[in-house]
Amino acid sequence: MPTLAPLFKALSDPSRLGIFERLTRGEMAVMELTAQFELSQPAVSQHLAVLRQAGLVTVRRDGRMVYYGVRPDAFRPLVDWLSHYQAFWPRRVDRLKALLERMEP
Amino acid sequence: MSRERDADKIELSWDLPHPPEKVWRALTEPALVAQWLLPTDMELKPGRPFRFRGEPNPLWDGVVRSEVLELEPGRRLAYTWVAGGPVGLDSRVTWTLTPIRGGTRLSLEHAGFKAGNGPAFQGARAGWNRNVGERMAAALAAMD
Repeated sequence: MPTLAPLFKALSDPSRLGIFERLTRGEMAVMELTAQFELSQPAVSQHLAVLRQAGLVTVRRDGRMVYYGVRPDAFRPLVDWLSHYQAFWPRRVDRLKALLERMEP
Repeated sequence: MSRERDADKIELSWDLPHPPEKVWRALTEPALVAQWLLPTDMELKPGRPFRFRGEPNPLWDGVVRSEVLELEPGRRLAYTWVAGGPVGLDSRVTWTLTPIRGGTRLSLEHAGFKAGNGPAFQGARAGWNRNVGERMAAALAAMD
């Protein structure tokens, strides 16, 4: 699935991956993330910007606070089920053919 | 094997050198289905839900939920194929067996790939597993 490359690139950095994983469990503000990850605030902001650009993270403003969360449909346009199953079924039917050879008539 | 492409479904067929009765068994007996497709508690009664199970990954919860839609023993079997997880798929699989000289033509139609058809994406974070990122790369590489 080559179209997933931008996502992998965004998540290839351990700090970004950690931030993303933390956000899958609930929204957080930059300050809270900064405290949890022992990163500078600019570093966290930079990571969040990359995650946003990859479409993995959303922003919600509430007064002066800015909360980050995961985009639940982040992978949706990138997972092509049709292509997946176009490869899946022929492989499975190859196994079916092998099974039929083994089966009693 | 022939194949046709279309935005909404997959249609494939194979000519097998085995009689329809034997192919039917391989499609319907859980112990046999497990050997080529996925482990299943399949019990072919219209309306009775059953499941296929596989290795979960961040994009799939490891379960395909199914229910018999059509059952014509030896000839035709259709069931729902609903994959759960963050990127769900609500689809239908139909197997048709046609006797041919020396064997069986096995036809598959897998329909329901229209965008927006999946059950997932309800609720903000409902579908997200914990540790989604950690397991994602490996799981996608292993998907078949």
